[in-house]
Amino acid sequence: MNRLSRAVLVAALSLLALPACSDDDEDRQFANPNPSPGQPATDAGTPDSGTPDSGSGNVWPAEFSCTDAQRKTLTFNPGQEQDLQNAVNDLQPCTTVQLGAGTFKFDNAVTIRQDGITIVGAGRGAQGEGTGGAASTVLDFTNAAANTNGLDVVGKLFTVKDVALWNAKKDALRVENSSNVFIQRIRTEWAVENDENNGKYGIYPVKSRYVLIEDCEAYNAADAGIYVGQTRYTIVRRNIAKKNVAGIEIENTRFAYVEGNTAIDNTTGLVVFDLPGNPIKGTDILITKNTITGNNRPNFASVTASSSTVSQVPAGTGTFILASRRVEFVGNTWGDNGSVDIAVLSGLAIEPNPLLWSAGFFNFNTGDVSIHDNTFLGGSGANVDNGQPDLQRRPLGALMFNLYAYGKAVHGVERVEHVLWDGIDPAPREEGREPNALNLCFYNNTVPATTKQAVVDLDLQSVQTYLTAQPANAPAAWAATARYDQGAEPFNCRGFAPALALP
Amino acid sequence: MRAPYTKHLGLAAVLLAAAVAACSGDEDPPGNVPTPDAGNPSQEDAGTPDAGVPDAGPPDAGPPDAGPPDAGPPDAGTPDAGPPGTVVIPNKLSDLKLFTGTPATGDFQPVAGNLPYELTTPLFSDYSLKSRTLYVPDGKKALYSQNDVLDLPVGTIITKTFAYPADFREPDKNVRPLETRILVRQPSGWEAYPYVWNDALTEADKAVGGKVFKNFEFIDAEGVKKTFDYLVPQRNQCQKCHHEVDAQDNQYLVPIGVKARYLNREHVYDGQPVNQLQHLAALGKLGGLPATGVPRAPNAFDATEATVAERARTYLDINCAHCHNPKAQPGITSRLFLDIKTTDEFSLGYCKRPGSAGSGVGGEFDIVPGDHSTSILWYRMNTEESGKMMPEIGRALRHDVGSQLIADWIDAMPPQSCK
Repeated sequence: MNRLSRAVLVAALSLLALPACSDDDEDRQFANPNPSPGQPATDAGTPDSGTPDSGSGNVWPAEFSCTDAQRKTLTFNPGQEQDLQNAVNDLQPCTTVQLGAGTFKFDNAVTIRQDGITIVGAGRGAQGEGTGGAASTVLDFTNAAANTNGLDVVGKLFTVKDVALWNAKKDALRVENSSNVFIQRIRTEWAVENDENNGKYGIYPVKSRYVLIEDCEAYNAADAGIYVGQTRYTIVRRNIAKKNVAGIEIENTRFAYVEGNTAIDNTTGLVVFDLPGNPIKGTDILITKNTITGNNRPNFASVTASSSTVSQVPAGTGTFILASRRVEFVGNTWGDNGSVDIAVLSGLAIEPNPLLWSAGFFNFNTGDVSIHDNTFLGGSGANVDNGQPDLQRRPLGALMFNLYAYGKAVHGVERVEHVLWDGIDPAPREEGREPNALNLCFYNNTVPATTKQAVVDLDLQSVQTYLTAQPANAPAAWAATARYDQGAEPFNCRGFAPALALP
Repeated sequence: MRAPYTKHLGLAAVLLAAAVAACSGDEDPPGNVPTPDAGNPSQEDAGTPDAGVPDAGPPDAGPPDAGPPDAGPPDAGTPDAGPPGTVVIPNKLSDLKLFTGTPATGDFQPVAGNLPYELTTPLFSDYSLKSRTLYVPDGKKALYSQNDVLDLPVGTIITKTFAYPADFREPDKNVRPLETRILVRQPSGWEAYPYVWNDALTEADKAVGGKVFKNFEFIDAEGVKKTFDYLVPQRNQCQKCHHEVDAQDNQYLVPIGVKARYLNREHVYDGQPVNQLQHLAALGKLGGLPATGVPRAPNAFDATEATVAERARTYLDINCAHCHNPKAQPGITSRLFLDIKTTDEFSLGYCKRPGSAGSGVGGEFDIVPGDHSTSILWYRMNTEESGKMMPEIGRALRHDVGSQLIADWIDAMPPQSCK
């Protein structure tokens, strides 16, 4: 986070006097804001067809079909790694690669550059298992050449299921420039906890279209367990992400349905953001029925100097959204997140130069955020960054730590509120701006009886100025903030319209 | 060097572009979907994966091709002829008939018509010695291009053999070839195949799945022993470097080095030093070669040939620009363009933040003018850390003189804080 000089910001923003035109979609349909997916099919050993739900008439369009293709199945068992590598580098379209139970040891990535490919193993096994058993298939990349991913895919109509990817050098599963991608019941894991040398991403679809990730597990990634990047139309459901720096990240993505996931014991649990320089402006993201608790793991991505976004996140951040719009949170559970349950941030907090956001239609503003009908269990906000702030590496956490230390000592405020808004958007923050011009709504949520105030407007720029002054002026910093009771104006608004378009 | 980049230069252009772009349409959202459904992968079920061992035969039944119904040799039997002009890709390099002799007997030589050539500045590949040949079929010719890869006809085969001497202080002794890669211009486009030399050095066998020479050793030019994993790329990995993206987002394969500016140098043919491009033209293998004005990329490590900046840009062009250009996926993603044509300093990385989150890569900006030590570009070239190295594949060791050249170039820039 750079110094957010208000004068500079105002000057820069005044240059952006653009014609007010909308880049939103033309014909959004009103969708049920609270869908109820069917029961997951209990898997009885037969791989399902990828349609665990019933009753939906909608099917994603496919850019490639195997309906009329000659289909082939190739089977490999542990010990046949080189045969497998030769085969996947010479695949015909619409081939299934069947992997037997046990452990496959690879010295290089497994790369797929073909359409209609399915990779299926005997099962993903359990957390901590680096070897395959009688009913599990582990692809072990411990001794792979440096700088390689585990499973590295470019293709249309790609499916991977029932395997574990272990100790990949970089990303465990990387799927790029692909469409109609089905990632089901896989596990990505690194053997050692809290190791900054672990691979960055567990499950990483990027620059793709129509991506389903369901019933997967992701552990110990040095950046994100599950990372959906620059993708249009994605469903992420019933996954478990633990012990990562970030559990689940939705980045520069349009039309995401994120349901029923478990994000526990990460540095930060489930996050949504746009990064500067990416041409896809994220929008329409539904986060529903997820469990986002106890995300207090020390940030092991920030051991060394870093340009990474997540390396700057204070431990104990349940959810943050940044440079995001049209995001709805409903039916989720937060609690025991030591810094804050939800932080709502401007993109200018990480990149204050608006011009660097030009590729994504100047998408630094956060707006239209609806947080309703969720459950806040409590136990959050009383131990910012585990009490170990680092102004250089995790500046927001350090400011929060010092601010709330003063608030507790002088004003008896024991905890950071459930929702922390940095107060920046729509930038610039000027006299006379509507107090909730970004349309952040917080209503019908269940909060602990001890909760008095649920939302804080931090006015981050002022807080930063006062707390980094010599000497620091904590009273002025505290006075710059404003806290709002649960259900109070202006944050008791009722969402945004039109409703979300779901994938 | 041009004047230092000023922050607001080109602002009007940026805003104009944004004003237009901001209105550009996005895709339509799907209709009213109470319950999203990803649809059906429409893949044949692969059977019952948790039924134990899926096929007959004990799991570790000795030789891998003893029984289990695996892929088998993909091109066993007679390969399909394919469309007219298709080059049949044999399992043995010798069956391509592009070379005579073997490394084992010390008489491994390209046949007549398979022309050896060199580049003014080659791509760095872990210090390997690279021998290149270009075969253009009889009766066909390549067409000259001033800036891009030569337009090579269907049937063209480019070969590159990677070898190491045991000791770089005696680079002509005990030279061991590891692999020979070929690029073939088929009617449908370029294809790439790796061939791996056997231990006896009598044959190189097609290895589409690649190979890793674990803990490969050599003595470097200073007498220091280097040990690393030498990676023969899989066929699919060839695309990582050799690709461009078309308008439909499909990747297709392209050669890298066979550009006029890198070929514009002398090579000894039949005992006589001759300019390579002129030699090709004289043989009738190259059309359209202009009499003057052919560009030449300098030798990046010969200070008498060009300025530090020109040599650094050449080094980046040959080593990085096949990915970092506006038509390749990594360039599109990172917005970092290191090709020789790019002149905009921001696109070259000056005070530019990386396109997506990197970690532990030495700084916040791709290039901090005046300070290589906080420039991500230099860090990624200089490091040997997995996950942080650039290029993504093809390098396990630091190219000392290469990263020094880039450091010198950055340090010579007028300093900027970028903050």
